[in-house]
Amino acid sequence: MTSFQAEFAPSKAAAATPMRAARLREPFSIAPWIYLAPTLALLMIWTYVPLVEAFKLSFYQWNMLPTSPQRYVGLKNYERLIALPEMRNALWNTLYYTLGLFPMSVIIPLFVAIWTQDLTGRARKIYRALIFVPMIVAPVVAAILWRWLLNEDQGIVTLGLDWLGFDRIGFLTDPRYALATLTWITGWKLIGFSTLLFSAANAGINSAYIEAARIDGASRWGIIRDIRLPLLSPTILLLSMMTILFGAQWSFAYIRVLTDGGPLKSTTNIFYLLYQYGFETLSAGWSSAAGMIAFAGFGLLAAGCMWLTKRFAVYDN
Amino acid sequence: MTIENPASSPEPSSMTAPGLVRRLAVHAMMILLSVLSIFPIYWMIVTSLRPANEIFSTALWPASPTLENYAFVLTRIPMLQMLLNTAVVAAFTAGLQVVTGMLAAYALVRWRMRLSGVVHGLIALSWLVPFQVTMIPNYVLASQLGLLDTLTGLIIPNAAHAFAVLMLYHGMRSFPSEILEAARIDGARSWKILWQIVVPNMGAPIASLSIIAFISAWNEYFWPLLLSRKPENSVVQIGLQMFMTQEGNLWGPLMAAACLASLPILVVYLVLQRHVIESFMKSGIR
Amino acid sequence: MLRRTSLKLLTALAGSLLVPFGALADMAATIDKPVTITFYNYNLASASAGADATKELIAGFEKKFPNVKVEPIAVPSNEIMSRVQADIVAGRQPDVAQLVFRDLIYLATDLGANALEDMVKPAELKDHLAGMIPNGLELGKVDGKTYGLAYTFSTPIMFYNADLFRQAGLDPDQPPKTWADVAAAAKAINEKTGKNGFFPGAYGPADGTFVYQSIVMSNGGKVRDGNKLTFADSNAAEAVKMLHDMVVSGAHAKIDPASASDTFAGGNMGMFLYTSALLSSLKKSAAGKFDLRLAAMPSFGSKPTAPTNSGSALFVFSKDPLKQRASYELLKYLTSREAYTIITSKIGYLPLRLDIVDDPNYLGGWVKENPMFRANLEQLNRLTANMAFPGANYRQVEKMMMDAVREAVFGNGDPIAVLKTAQEQAQDLMP
Repeated sequence: MTSFQAEFAPSKAAAATPMRAARLREPFSIAPWIYLAPTLALLMIWTYVPLVEAFKLSFYQWNMLPTSPQRYVGLKNYERLIALPEMRNALWNTLYYTLGLFPMSVIIPLFVAIWTQDLTGRARKIYRALIFVPMIVAPVVAAILWRWLLNEDQGIVTLGLDWLGFDRIGFLTDPRYALATLTWITGWKLIGFSTLLFSAANAGINSAYIEAARIDGASRWGIIRDIRLPLLSPTILLLSMMTILFGAQWSFAYIRVLTDGGPLKSTTNIFYLLYQYGFETLSAGWSSAAGMIAFAGFGLLAAGCMWLTKRFAVYDN
Repeated sequence: MTIENPASSPEPSSMTAPGLVRRLAVHAMMILLSVLSIFPIYWMIVTSLRPANEIFSTALWPASPTLENYAFVLTRIPMLQMLLNTAVVAAFTAGLQVVTGMLAAYALVRWRMRLSGVVHGLIALSWLVPFQVTMIPNYVLASQLGLLDTLTGLIIPNAAHAFAVLMLYHGMRSFPSEILEAARIDGARSWKILWQIVVPNMGAPIASLSIIAFISAWNEYFWPLLLSRKPENSVVQIGLQMFMTQEGNLWGPLMAAACLASLPILVVYLVLQRHVIESFMKSGIR
Repeated sequence: MLRRTSLKLLTALAGSLLVPFGALADMAATIDKPVTITFYNYNLASASAGADATKELIAGFEKKFPNVKVEPIAVPSNEIMSRVQADIVAGRQPDVAQLVFRDLIYLATDLGANALEDMVKPAELKDHLAGMIPNGLELGKVDGKTYGLAYTFSTPIMFYNADLFRQAGLDPDQPPKTWADVAAAAKAINEKTGKNGFFPGAYGPADGTFVYQSIVMSNGGKVRDGNKLTFADSNAAEAVKMLHDMVVSGAHAKIDPASASDTFAGGNMGMFLYTSALLSSLKKSAAGKFDLRLAAMPSFGSKPTAPTNSGSALFVFSKDPLKQRASYELLKYLTSREAYTIITSKIGYLPLRLDIVDDPNYLGGWVKENPMFRANLEQLNRLTANMAFPGANYRQVEKMMMDAVREAVFGNGDPIAVLKTAQEQAQDLMP
């Protein structure tokens, strides 16, 4: 397989060169800014201006009412939030959510997309459609459905466990299981989303490469390893990045509906903690500071991820 | 789907015995995943058909199925109006996200600007701004612009999204550059290249993005909650919430409403999903 | 930039329009010209009977006062406070709002709710409040002034499953009266039937603090004394320890607090202490499944119980004299005998005017048909004010307290030590 890889890689590099060179030579032009204008304008108005305002407010104590004064408190809002006793616990849980989501947001969907590609048309369509279905229910409905299924006294899962001879499990009430349960529910809604993205990317792979490899006598796994996976790498990286950056936010709706961070604080995460102590208050200072911490923290992570993406993504140029 | 994409047709090895075992294993895996995916949804449908005193039963099918929950939903809240509102909001949001995203992604792929790194970063970072930070200022702005209690107010703030730009950007990066080059050498204007060459070949990313954008707009809850003041000007997520009362949830109607709210998305998915696959066969280049 | 300046402008403008609190202009004596007032209401944001009854009340009011148009704004109860605040920030002054008691102090001190004593002439106010339960009126007061006029509310009540009582060899006609009885009965149910014995709706995010506070106050405890937190002090902590001991003995179920009412409705729990407003929905799920009964909330030995309330009060924010008059008339209408007849019989909340209970023109007939409701009415005599927390961080304080209570009841540590630690931490957030 290495021979094929060697053949494949340089041709790709060669193809990429003229484009790069052509782009470098281009003089300044107003055209791209016109194309960018709608997106940038909308993001400025609805996201960045409020963000700048929030940055300022994060140093004040203010209840947002026109009639009451804004009091400058320096870094006090930040200090208070960072010193929250649950902070360390929430950070660990955030890591758990992120790692726990990976199989469901990246690995399983990746293989579903690749494997189902080999199936004949109808079966492929049916599987992909069924796996996609969880995405169509609203998060809050998904949360209460699972709460119902997992109910310790009358949930169908409990009945199933009984039937198999297992003891009942406090999926949402036992601190040992609650975090895993919430990770599963979050992931359950994600598999369809990721499968959709992988299927689109997988279907987009130029079939000439696969044909060429097959003629070269490449094995099935060889094709996956040397062609499909590298060409799917932008999507893999995109979804990995999204899992890292948004795992905490995705689980938010489920924590809020199902456990409120409990039992015994075992399911809270960084985003939920900030939500409870920051956003849920009516104080502009606390909520802005909480927003800034979340933004800055995940911003740093994002910068790291983007750097990795640039290094490792393979484009079929 | 009449023509099979060569890449997707069963490969020759699958005719042999180990191939058969492998295929069976794949089917088994897929069936397991499908059941896990679909069962809670099945439960939602079954519960919506249960009468009030059977709600907590664990029978797989109700003893006396009824449509009374659906009747309750349709008569107690303006459900049809809400579904229509949500469809309008979701369709426009998805459409606008595709258009703004396409334009921005094209600018980033086609031109190499000195600031393109900064622009790319700004767009991507906007995704990380927690909604709670922008909520109140945006509410004040929407109120000043007279957008409270309007569908426009639900659409405009979401008309551009970092995910749309990034996803289309990725899609376009995979676009064979020779074709762009050729078109440029022919002297085609950038606008023409975009609409006549790039867009027609971006079927899969556009369809996937439309599905995702449509669904997330459909499931959006916080912004409509803040913006709408009357149930008849509101969206279906707010409608669902109306069955979760202070005094506990009205399970039967809630599940019936959830079924009604999920059905349109399933249709959109099935229509566009086909497009995801088909678009590759139509585009003559591959 | 444009937005920021306009926001500032708007803020300044809104500021200049607002009359400083306390120095209100005189409320108009009559409604002599057409006026529209907004009414923020959470019953309207649900599809339950509460919405229908509220619509009926608003229609009745508009008929009585043809000059007033009520613009209802429906917001779910857990979001209504943020909406009121957002609208004040956006310069849309709300007129009347139905809000819960936990936010009482913040509403009075920060959001500029009008004190009725400042707005209404003493004689007129006295005239309307006559006949309302004094303990009920006490609930909406901050420093002696009425900011919230108690509107819809309910107290904790013990729902029990008489079938499970029989199966456990207990007499369903003799429901437990004290906590010791509850512990014994619950243990018997748990051991004999394998079902859950007892659970209070006191730990979930949806029920706030009222069931917990009722238990604590029934033991002579208090969650705070002025600005000093006391939820870890002797009587309050003892009450929580009692719950913890019941968990240890197996009498108190260890289930998901958010689905406790479903577990009870599904026939899998013996006793459930929760808001009386749940009655109508529990009746529906129990129909044909099990024998649902009601008892008063249990007491600590011979100490009288101190049921506190969940529910809402009406707040007036209008600054304009004419709108104030219209708002006040709406308040009067919504807390009248006629209104409470509708509120009690159609939604299931308690009437704050006890003189209508046996009056055949009002609730008389309904109470006769619903004798179960008596246990609930009887508790009104001992109604104790639920305590809201003061200061800008009141919601965090409340959360820290409830987290600690959950940990003390369900955790393995020493319950009193857990409460003590939380009390010290939360005290820093008090004013």
